[in-house]
Amino acid sequence: MSITAETAQAHANDPAVLCCRAEAGITIEAANLEDPAIFDDLVDSGLLTLDGALTIGQVLGAKLTKTCDSLCPLTADVLEGVKEAAKPAALESAKTEETPAPAPVAQVAGGTASGVLKIHIGEGKDIDLEIPVGALGGGTAVAEIPAGAATGVAGATAQVPAEEKVVRTLTKKHFTITEVKRGPETKIEGTTLYIREGIEKDCIDNQELVHDFKIEIITPDLYHTYSETVMDVQPIATKEGDAELGSGVTRTLDGVVMMLTGTDDDGVQIGEFGSSEGYLDENIMWGRPGAPDKGEIFIKAQATIQAKTNMERRGPLAAHTAFDIVTQEIRLALKELDESLVTSTEEFKQVRRPGKKKVVIVKEIMGQGAMHDNLVLPVEPIGVLGAHPNVDLGNVPVVVSPLEVLDGCIHALTCIGPASKEMSRHYWREPLVLEALHDTEIDLCGVVFVGSPQINAEKFYVSKRVGYTVEAMDVDGAFVTTEGFGNNHIDFASHIEQIGMRGIPVVGMSFCAVQGALVVGNKYMTHMVDNNKSEAGIENEVLACNTLCTEDALRAIAMLKANMSGEDVKAAEKKWNPNVKSTNLELISNVTGEKITLVDNEQSLPMSKKRKEKYS
Amino acid sequence: MNNVQILLRQHVGAPCEATVKAGDKVKKGTLIAAPTGLGANIFSSVYGTVTEVLDDRIVIKPDEKQKDEFVPIKEGSKLEMITSAGVVGMGGAGFPTAVKIKADLNGGYVLVNAAECEPGLKHNIIQIEENAEKTIRGLKYVMEISNAAKGVFAIKKKNEKAVSVLREAIKNESNITIHLLPDIYPMGEERAVVREVLGILLDPTQLPSAADAIVINVETLLRVAEAIEDKKPCFSKNVTVIGQLNDSNEPRVYMDVPVGTSVGDLIERAGGMREPVGEIVMGGPFTGKSTTLEDPITKTTGGIIPTIEFPDLHGANVGLLVCACGGSEDRMREICAKMNGKVVSVARCKQAAEMKNGALKCENPGNCPGQAAKCLQFKKDGAEYIIIGNCSDCSNTVMGSAPKMKLKVFHMTDHIMRTIGHPLYRRLTVSKQVDQLPNGK
Repeated sequence: MSITAETAQAHANDPAVLCCRAEAGITIEAANLEDPAIFDDLVDSGLLTLDGALTIGQVLGAKLTKTCDSLCPLTADVLEGVKEAAKPAALESAKTEETPAPAPVAQVAGGTASGVLKIHIGEGKDIDLEIPVGALGGGTAVAEIPAGAATGVAGATAQVPAEEKVVRTLTKKHFTITEVKRGPETKIEGTTLYIREGIEKDCIDNQELVHDFKIEIITPDLYHTYSETVMDVQPIATKEGDAELGSGVTRTLDGVVMMLTGTDDDGVQIGEFGSSEGYLDENIMWGRPGAPDKGEIFIKAQATIQAKTNMERRGPLAAHTAFDIVTQEIRLALKELDESLVTSTEEFKQVRRPGKKKVVIVKEIMGQGAMHDNLVLPVEPIGVLGAHPNVDLGNVPVVVSPLEVLDGCIHALTCIGPASKEMSRHYWREPLVLEALHDTEIDLCGVVFVGSPQINAEKFYVSKRVGYTVEAMDVDGAFVTTEGFGNNHIDFASHIEQIGMRGIPVVGMSFCAVQGALVVGNKYMTHMVDNNKSEAGIENEVLACNTLCTEDALRAIAMLKANMSGEDVKAAEKKWNPNVKSTNLELISNVTGEKITLVDNEQSLPMSKKRKEKYS
Repeated sequence: MNNVQILLRQHVGAPCEATVKAGDKVKKGTLIAAPTGLGANIFSSVYGTVTEVLDDRIVIKPDEKQKDEFVPIKEGSKLEMITSAGVVGMGGAGFPTAVKIKADLNGGYVLVNAAECEPGLKHNIIQIEENAEKTIRGLKYVMEISNAAKGVFAIKKKNEKAVSVLREAIKNESNITIHLLPDIYPMGEERAVVREVLGILLDPTQLPSAADAIVINVETLLRVAEAIEDKKPCFSKNVTVIGQLNDSNEPRVYMDVPVGTSVGDLIERAGGMREPVGEIVMGGPFTGKSTTLEDPITKTTGGIIPTIEFPDLHGANVGLLVCACGGSEDRMREICAKMNGKVVSVARCKQAAEMKNGALKCENPGNCPGQAAKCLQFKKDGAEYIIIGNCSDCSNTVMGSAPKMKLKVFHMTDHIMRTIGHPLYRRLTVSKQVDQLPNGK
């Protein structure tokens, strides 16, 4: 439809297409031109080819020499008085900004390009993002990044701390397990972990709703074993001495993970939208933050809970609580291990960087009840004891330190939508927290967990609290992440709105792609990162496939930086296009000089029967 | 002669209040209802007896014998006589004429709307051909009353005979000119006339007075002249009957049809309908409404059109593109239902601005704002067919995208256009520009 002069100005470098029939002799004005926002759809529908079209900036004021019909791209042969192609504005900005940039930066700027990251959500239904670097549409690489940002990128190592403040530290001491066996008592001898025989009965007796409980030790040679749907993957970790979660020393076991699976008495998988039952090696996306790594041993429990409680909060909670009896015995054994067995030590510093752009991460976690709950802040990493269910907390925002996140402050009961939900292990190695913490250009002030309640009124109740929480933090920018898709997108959108309406730049992250396309949207949802990894853009029921990974965190951080520095977001493609992501990563990589390797998706796994039948 | 039914509301404003009761004898020109607020006097159009006074109408049984003479209105100033005669805008809007012209145009313009834009209607053009002199006198009265310095006839160039009659009639009138219009719908929209003649595009909320002008229908001028010269009350209407008629689908123009005559009587006069009939439209194809044989003619009725049957879409999904230039959404839904379609999507032309009273007005009549996005919406909503109510230019734009999207296009006037043998509204093949007469003469 015809556009206004302002829209024409904003799209001066987009192709000029007549919205309606125009007769020879008229002077082209904005009202004669179609809105570039619908070009993608028009091209898709075969209604439009943009070959040879001049830009809007070029045609405004020119005289039409031939009567042309609607959707006719304006080309030089039907116009008189066409303006010269606008010089890429970016080129000029690079020139004017060269002064403050040290020599190496100038090279970066001149040689490659800058970081306009851009995404667009067409009426909240599709997402894409794009970082145009260089001349808009020109293809030549021209810097557009503000000098400040460029300096930061290039001079990161040089310019650092002075003012950096270490608020607290968390040390993770790693012990390695190479073998897991059953034995008369739970203990660790060297690198062998023994799990007490008969512990299953304790688990069953402990929880009324748990009717059966089996433990299997899955070593790599047994990966091709059938399993019920995976409800959670957890690291085994414990605090040393009196240390509280998120500080002091945490002991953890490498080479082994806890894996909870289950059904109800009737054999119904404990899952809502999809489930990951099947052969383990065909249904686990190895190496995702929340998934097992290839080579690890699984202590896999299969809980059978009372029929019909699979969709109630108490059913899955009973399974998790029973399972923690096993983990807790291992934790106690781990506490006793001799210091000499430590194979590696990691130190996490919570660093504040006054003077840098202050950012906060808002992580939306499930809180709809049913199996959608999370235990918040247990005493032990990913424990049960001492934690409060998110639902009981009313889903209101809870501020935690980044180190509490990395120390397992979330025990996740979100055992559904396997590909897009964050397992407990995800938080333990949460990529956005890690990347934001380590990025010397930003000042990560904290992480806010907020639940996603079932009822809309409650959703808006909590999203308003998010708004005020973030407002009180006086941040320069915010990330909002979510897991799953669909219902939770309502609050996800509302969180972004509440932050955005306070004038705070915000970047949203979610699985969307095709199947998770947003059902709602608002005008603040302009900067979005899609966590999809699946080939077809769907919930493919492969554990953790579409969860937030480092490659997503890097894009989100680059995008928020661009947003905070006031760079424009260019309109994006209407349909989900996986290439946008790879292009953006390439552009980031060009600036940072670091190669970003994309994680694999389900195509790297043996094809399961289910996947073959349902998704191919 | 059958009973006549005279509606108490035939104009913009409140309904009139009856001044007669059942049993009263009335003459042609007897005042039978008077305004309670904004409105215009209503007169009996026949000699006869009032049989019923209902909430919305007065029913009169006409006498066997009808005389031509009528009860004259009182002598008075020109404006008073127009008020007394109950003249309203005859182009369809029905705004009380005396109220409209009681203005000071500061030497501005009276623009005569002779566009007769609704396809198929002919009574305005025939009136000019047959009665240009009296019409011009009507214009002069209006110019005098409203302190206008210039009068301009806005008429489509295609009406060659009427244009030549007018040229002859105004050749010695120094302050009256002709502005030729292209054959595009909706050139007769009030603000389109102002834009075409004066080059001023008014906002939908503005009246022509914002451009020191009034726009007045050509038949209204005739009624003004009749009131002033003949003291004749306004109780008759020129009407075109066209469509699915027994003899042919050629237009029949009836001058001075008594207000209150039933649609059925008028169709009988035109030779009767040829069955099967899809619907009967009162008014023009674009802005008219469906009517019944029993409904009466009013002061604003321009056309009566029995149509051929509707095509049957067998319940297919339909998108409606509602526009200020055509029927309301209700009318579009009615047509869709008559075509046995299922409405799955409704869009409104971007330029259709909603007025306080809920009516739509086009921001720039006849100049399309683009329709591709609407077609995308219809496609997305699963429409197989679309029914559009757009003007010539917008219809052309729709045709630029809908067929390529495999949307089958109907125009809401299709059944009427097919009935009267008029080209369907699809592609635009004529120019919006026409050459003007030298000095408007």
